[in-house]
Amino acid sequence: MLQRDIFINEITKKMKSDKKIYFLSADFGAAALDKLREQFPKNFIHCGISEQAMLDIAAGLALEKNKVFVYAMAPFLSLRAIEQAKCGPGLMNLPICMISVGIGLGYADAGPTHYSNEDFSCLRSIVGSSIYTPSDNNTTKFIAKEMLTKPKFSYVRLDRDVQKDLNPKINSEDYKNGFKIFGKIEKKKIAIISHGKIFHDCTSAFNKNKYLLINLFRSKPFPEKLVKKIKTIEKFLVVDEQTPSGNLSSCVYEGFRDKKFYPKIVSKSLPERYFFENGGRKFLLNKFGLSKTDLLKATKDF
Amino acid sequence: MQINDLENLAKKYRREIFEKFLETKQGHPGSIFSMMEIAVSLYHGGFLRFDKSKKKFLDKVLISKGHATSALYPILRDFGVISKNEWNKWGKSKSQLRIFGNTSIPGIDITSGSLGHCIGSGAGMAISYKNNNQDKKVYVVISEGELYEGSTWEALLFAKHRELDNLTVIIDVNSLIILGNTSDCLKINPIKEKIEGLGIDTKEVDGHNIDELISALNNSDASQTFNCIIANTTKGKGSSVMENKKNWHYWNPMTKEEIKITREELK
Repeated sequence: MLQRDIFINEITKKMKSDKKIYFLSADFGAAALDKLREQFPKNFIHCGISEQAMLDIAAGLALEKNKVFVYAMAPFLSLRAIEQAKCGPGLMNLPICMISVGIGLGYADAGPTHYSNEDFSCLRSIVGSSIYTPSDNNTTKFIAKEMLTKPKFSYVRLDRDVQKDLNPKINSEDYKNGFKIFGKIEKKKIAIISHGKIFHDCTSAFNKNKYLLINLFRSKPFPEKLVKKIKTIEKFLVVDEQTPSGNLSSCVYEGFRDKKFYPKIVSKSLPERYFFENGGRKFLLNKFGLSKTDLLKATKDF
Repeated sequence: MQINDLENLAKKYRREIFEKFLETKQGHPGSIFSMMEIAVSLYHGGFLRFDKSKKKFLDKVLISKGHATSALYPILRDFGVISKNEWNKWGKSKSQLRIFGNTSIPGIDITSGSLGHCIGSGAGMAISYKNNNQDKKVYVVISEGELYEGSTWEALLFAKHRELDNLTVIIDVNSLIILGNTSDCLKINPIKEKIEGLGIDTKEVDGHNIDELISALNNSDASQTFNCIIANTTKGKGSSVMENKKNWHYWNPMTKEEIKITREELK
């Protein structure tokens, strides 16, 4: 099942008992959304292909103590409406959850207008935002449940494609922490930090016995307990399907710095350019430095 | 209240705000003075229901032209929503009051300042009231300059599609933006035809004529569809030093003679 269907199904379930939940779409769909629209037509609002108005409408609804979810394709929700995100949920501290679908190169081969390779840094820079990038459906369900029970200004980054389950799955304690560590913590190991779909590429490139894998599904607020857990590790490779400026490695560096932790950090991301080439997501990731071989090679950069 | 009383109130508020400008030496007098009759008509004309015990208005006013939100401060003070102490402190010492309104200020229903946001937010509120069977109205005051923002048109289209008859948009058309006359900078006229082109009922009034404003607001309240009021105004209304002068979008230093003239004209 797609992450978006998982998320929307949770919202639909809760809508049965909570009439204060609103779901707004800028003409972006999902199989689960068809059911939500049919069951709760009053609480579904089609805003047209108008991401800016959608965020403003959401602000008005949230000012009246409603729980609001806005939903659109990642590049348009994040960048087209970024000032609305600042002035609405940001400045007024409103519980609006932005559900963004198709992060990274998810919409290969649609071309660079549809890629979302800078949304992470943009939304992370808005004061008061919380950022989530789940790698599987289980984590996605946890996020949806949190946003329904403790609504807040959040930006949830979902993949376009079906994602494999993490093994083992995150549990409620992991969710509370905001991260999950895969493998035994040993000083000699290099730790790989990632999130979303690209985390799965890391799990297939790096052997858990040789490397430590950290799924950082909540990057903001930066997990309080992470540094305490991994402070013996000296080398970190941070992998993100974003362009270099302000990607997950910046977030990790800042999170570590705030705890006065200064290990070696190598960033592996997409290059600073737009991608016009055809060939699919895997082709693009391989061509632009995020193949398994590239990831393994990057561990020699310390 | 009689029309004459409301006109006098608008003059009083301009005088009081002018004295505040002399103290704060900052703000947007042109835009505040252009919308004073609009604000007086809404608050003192009986369009907003007031809960005296809670000192709270039941209906909402969103000043989308956030640089003019302070036009509401003396009105809210008179209703006891903003304390006299806060009003007196403004410009002298630390005060809750700001040039741009925000939700931390009593009686200010939205944080605004960036243009083009409040029709959408007003629409969100209006939908919430309808779905919850709450008999509440939202009035959104925008500047004509906000018609340059795409989000304004997105929201107008939306409000019309949903036929939000509990939402009224009032457009303060004072014909000036920061760099000059709208017709010279980037032609926006004819505004009425453009908005009517979306299928929206639109009434055009003299924005300084309280009789016309109240009549238009009554029509709007009685309407079963989403509608707009175009209020044609004069930027800097009431002061010959400021009227129709683009540089008076912002406060400027005044000579003693200009202060004397303005005080006299605002009597």
